[in-house]
Amino acid sequence: MWGRTLQFLPEQNLREGLLPWVIGVMLFLCTLSLTGALAIGSGLERWSASLASNLTVQIAVQDPIERQTQTEAALRLLEATPGIEKATVLADAEIMALLSPWLGDMPIGANLPIPTLIEVELESGSTINPAALSERLKATASGAQLDDHQAWMSQILDMAVVIQLLLGGVVVMVILSTIAIVIFGCRAGLATHHDSIEIMHLMGAEDSTISTAFDVRYLSHGLKGGLLGVLFASGALLLLSKMAERMGQGLISASLPITENLWWLALLPIVAAAITMLTARFTVRKALLEMM
Amino acid sequence: MITFENVGMRYGMGNEVLTDISFSLDRGSFQFLVGPSGAGKTTLLKLLYLAHRPSRGLVNFFGKDLSTIERDALPRIRRRIGVVFQDFRLFDHLTAFENVALPLRLQGAKKSQVADHVEELLSWVGLEDRLHARPATLSGGEKQRVAIARAIINKPDLLVADEPTGNVDAEMSRRLMHLFVALNKEGTTTVVATHDESLVKAVGAPVLRLDKGGVSHEPGGKPVDPGQ
Repeated sequence: MWGRTLQFLPEQNLREGLLPWVIGVMLFLCTLSLTGALAIGSGLERWSASLASNLTVQIAVQDPIERQTQTEAALRLLEATPGIEKATVLADAEIMALLSPWLGDMPIGANLPIPTLIEVELESGSTINPAALSERLKATASGAQLDDHQAWMSQILDMAVVIQLLLGGVVVMVILSTIAIVIFGCRAGLATHHDSIEIMHLMGAEDSTISTAFDVRYLSHGLKGGLLGVLFASGALLLLSKMAERMGQGLISASLPITENLWWLALLPIVAAAITMLTARFTVRKALLEMM
Repeated sequence: MITFENVGMRYGMGNEVLTDISFSLDRGSFQFLVGPSGAGKTTLLKLLYLAHRPSRGLVNFFGKDLSTIERDALPRIRRRIGVVFQDFRLFDHLTAFENVALPLRLQGAKKSQVADHVEELLSWVGLEDRLHARPATLSGGEKQRVAIARAIINKPDLLVADEPTGNVDAEMSRRLMHLFVALNKEGTTTVVATHDESLVKAVGAPVLRLDKGGVSHEPGGKPVDPGQ
């Protein structure tokens, strides 16, 4: 009983005891949404950065001799272009491997017209204009088509932004719901302890003394709920990471959060506790002002 | 010390519960408040222990007009008023010692001071061996003595008791009333609301008689020993 806070409230009842669990569920949802939004952002950033440093040139000519001639001309042009680190012609085996998910395993040299692909690596910080390069390639090799991945990458990035906004909206809604739950819980607590509060007032307690007792209690609820929520969410994220590792490289693994960047998860219980306590303080102070 | 002038009180838009109440309490006086149920005793007591402000009229507490007192200043005035309720209103999760210590702790008293004062006072009301008992384990008379100790631990200028003997037997009523008289003799202005006319006669203090929202004043008489 001794301490700076004059804790006149009795031990919490069953109804109040559920509050940390409710806050925990909210924090779980909040953590997953927040992590998802940040992971999509950082994953796509890394992924688009790696794609932006690559171009693909396709030489789609039916005649093999003409295709070889145009490939060599295109290679000469690319190697002479400032800002290009390396231009490599993909071997037929590599092209067949890229096509195998759609066409199945086929022997090299099967009677299937496949284009020649040149993979172009750009120098770091290169400012090549893809449209101009495409024009020059067309002039050198009429069957050359330059793909800078922008057309489909921008669609994916647009989609990612929409998903991030939605997840951000979920985070905001979860925070607002948590605040509403704390307000309802706090009002119920005020009603339950009305007589005790009245006695405290009559003994000469100031509003700050009374609201501090609620502050301490709701700080504890918020901290417990925050720890529970973040603990379960961390477990879920770990499970997802393990599953993604087993699926191998690709878009999914590129989008997953990197565990060493998740140190901020440790701050979430503190943020939850602070939000819960401040909400309780505001609610209690407002209610006390309505009493004499 | 405390003055009520033409005080009226109504709850919300209802009829006036108290009408044109005027009286004053001198420092160190003892006053009974009597009247039938529904006469407004509890309402008048609530005005006395600052649980409500009156709907109209002038109320003066310790030289200050209640209508001009800011809400923030009320705690300081309330600390000069001790209140005893018929239903004790003790904190059930706290021990007798902790209940009585609360008003001192509100004022930021040191732990050692609190311990000395509380133990001394609980001993004075005859509960030196029940310091660490919780209210659930105390009898009605013991609870009321804890409540009285809590009300007077701050040495209040005014002690207001609302039917303090309502939940105890006749013998305990007499003992509690002796406590109030003893406190009054030490200088505490005391107002006791009661239904029990025999207690009023036994003490012989002046009476404020409430009826139909109005008040009449009756002078005190010679104390009568109920044993005679």
